[in-house]
Amino acid sequence: MVQTRKLKDGSRQVILNSTQYEGITRVLSELANKTKASAILFADMSGQLISQRGNTDNMNTTVLSALAASDFAATSEMAKLVGEEAKFKLLFHEGEKRNVYLSNVGEAFFLVVVFDVSVTLGLIRIYTKKAIEDLNGILDDDSGAPAEDEKLIDSDFSSLLGDALDDTFK
Amino acid sequence: MFINWALQEINLKIVYYGPGMSGKTTNLEYIHSKLDPSLTGDLVSLKTKEDRTIFFDFMQIEVGKIKGKKPKFNLYTVPGQVYYASSRKVILNGVDGIVFVADSQPHRMEANIETLLDLESNLKADGQSLESFPWAIQYNKRDLPGVESLDVLQKRLNFFNVPSFEGVAVKGDGVFSTLKSVINLVVQNVQDQL
Repeated sequence: MVQTRKLKDGSRQVILNSTQYEGITRVLSELANKTKASAILFADMSGQLISQRGNTDNMNTTVLSALAASDFAATSEMAKLVGEEAKFKLLFHEGEKRNVYLSNVGEAFFLVVVFDVSVTLGLIRIYTKKAIEDLNGILDDDSGAPAEDEKLIDSDFSSLLGDALDDTFK
Repeated sequence: MFINWALQEINLKIVYYGPGMSGKTTNLEYIHSKLDPSLTGDLVSLKTKEDRTIFFDFMQIEVGKIKGKKPKFNLYTVPGQVYYASSRKVILNGVDGIVFVADSQPHRMEANIETLLDLESNLKADGQSLESFPWAIQYNKRDLPGVESLDVLQKRLNFFNVPSFEGVAVKGDGVFSTLKSVINLVVQNVQDQL
């Protein structure tokens, strides 16, 4: 499993190790090649972008992942209200030039595929389905180097962050 | 919280909560206008035609590298009107710290309390509580005539004695000090948890 642990205060911490991150990026690259998608994003359900591939230079992918997560969350609430027990598994937005295909990856993550209208939806669905299986496999496998989160934030870090905030928020 | 070891990034989510028109969006607009563009992304606001937040505002800020790590802060606001309760709940997903923007005007006290209770209810649904969660209060609109005294506001809203700040968000007063305080609380909380 990806390291997703509940902290003492009840909040959730998500930690990916390098092996998982590299694996995820590889799957996205493969998907981008096969589908000729304009952009592919992999993010968690709180809107946090984890990895991306494709022509994303002119796209604010940080914002896109935040909006996509809210898209999932909003439609999930809608599903409950209309009596649909299960969450909607995928969302599809059809445009004039570009389409956007969003799909759950397990409970905690999702995939966004932005593609040209000339590419058939069927093609995207087939390759995305395979990519999601691969991603689930990577997320379930935590045999890579463990994340050393115990050394991540110490009192030194806090004090230096405080200084940086003072500088930034002048 | 999301930690990306490969990129040495620590991503934290901070949500601005509060009743309608209390100044949540104004806080973010001020922050966005004052920060160096290299440290902040776009400010995205999903609004109605009347300029009221319909879903959320979002922006990401950085402060550079600290001990080789890159902390990034994702700031969100929620829509304040009562009927957007479901939207507020979804925006709270994955939250690490909260700024509660209270409206200092006496006639908005009930709305402040109702929204605070709404927040507690949403946190409780996720196994958390305002009692232990990293958050701070900003008493906004202190420049308006006839605002409630700080004493009364503290008694009615700050039952957990969290850091509180006076604010005039349109001018920027209290905006950065509130944000800094919550960031420090969040980081301290992360330290305590690990």
